[in-house]
Amino acid sequence: MTGDIVQAAKFIGAGLAMIGAMGGGIGVGMSVQGAMEGMARNPDTYGNLLTNMILGIAFSEAIAIYCLVVSFLLLLVV
Amino acid sequence: MEKSRKWRWGVNRWWVLAFIILTVIATNRFAPVQQVIAVAPENLTKSPIITLPLVGGLYLTNTEVAMILMDLIILVIALVVKSRVKEYTLIAKGFTGALEMLIEVLYNLAQSTAGKWAKKIFPLFATILIVVLFANLLKLIPGFESIGFVEEVEHAGYTAVSLGGNWFNVTTPEVAEGGAVVVPFLRGLSTDLNFTLALALISVIMTQVIGVQAQGFGYFSKFFNVRTLFSRPIFGVMDLFTSLLEAISEFAKIISFTFRLFGNMFAGMVLMAIISVMVPVFAPSAIMLFELFIGLIQAFVFGMLTLVFMAMATQGHAEA
Repeated sequence: MTGDIVQAAKFIGAGLAMIGAMGGGIGVGMSVQGAMEGMARNPDTYGNLLTNMILGIAFSEAIAIYCLVVSFLLLLVV
Repeated sequence: MEKSRKWRWGVNRWWVLAFIILTVIATNRFAPVQQVIAVAPENLTKSPIITLPLVGGLYLTNTEVAMILMDLIILVIALVVKSRVKEYTLIAKGFTGALEMLIEVLYNLAQSTAGKWAKKIFPLFATILIVVLFANLLKLIPGFESIGFVEEVEHAGYTAVSLGGNWFNVTTPEVAEGGAVVVPFLRGLSTDLNFTLALALISVIMTQVIGVQAQGFGYFSKFFNVRTLFSRPIFGVMDLFTSLLEAISEFAKIISFTFRLFGNMFAGMVLMAIISVMVPVFAPSAIMLFELFIGLIQAFVFGMLTLVFMAMATQGHAEA
């Protein structure tokens, strides 16, 4: 019985941890939006913007990845 | 002169079709089973190779085998290219030319970011980038994460069907107790926390070293700023506080470096394991392509962040 409750709590916790991915998604969307606007106004800066955009995406995506790691740890290790 | 080789879809599409049909037959014959997903890399040896006093026993893990393989590949490429470069042709051709282009692109990137410190920073940055790149592309080897020892476990597992000789195929039906699982010989290098942590430590510590080389020991005033504490008391306290935050963010960098790479590649491994059970035909190839792209991006990001942090360390405060 207690084992089942712990198991259920693990799954619920892992699911709740992934809510944090929302922030990562919003961040990625905003950085791409900024880069796209910049590219549309000034197409010459394409290469430069692309590099920095990927860097920014990686930064904000890292937050979502932390959530993923936490939920994996809940599922597999704890 | 140069001959351009055209991509021949005419032949290759039949190959693709043949492989798809082969996968259908194979998955009908032997149902694919989900591989064991574990955060820690699996041990290949039963007993520890060396026992260290403080750390304990060290086993040969499957990520270590992958690391040795990656090192060998990089070394062989380096030696081959070195011997080719000695031929002193003005324009390098083929594989050598491709590597020359890679190094040139990386050096230009370092120069545009770090300026006159590019010569110092470039070796570290390029090494980290290439190591992570090869570590992530290593999963192109067939049988990666799927060929290995068959191990009997006490908990739930699958059945091992003999293929003749010492070869077994682990497949359905699932058994509740005393089943067999596969312990793969090779496993993605970046799915081992030790590897990513080591790279993160190298990156962050070398950032401090380069900072000290560029600014002398005044570099550490970035982390414990008492310069303005007595001349401008109120703002001095604020400066001290922000510099302490800077010191904390240096430790956060290690964690973020470690878990960014580990999380991305581990998520990729789990996705591959699940997709290849749910939709074993063709879908894993598409996911694999996506995973390779992710690996490329992560290698670029790891190297680029190292470069940017090192370049930031060489520049002092605007006013201090």
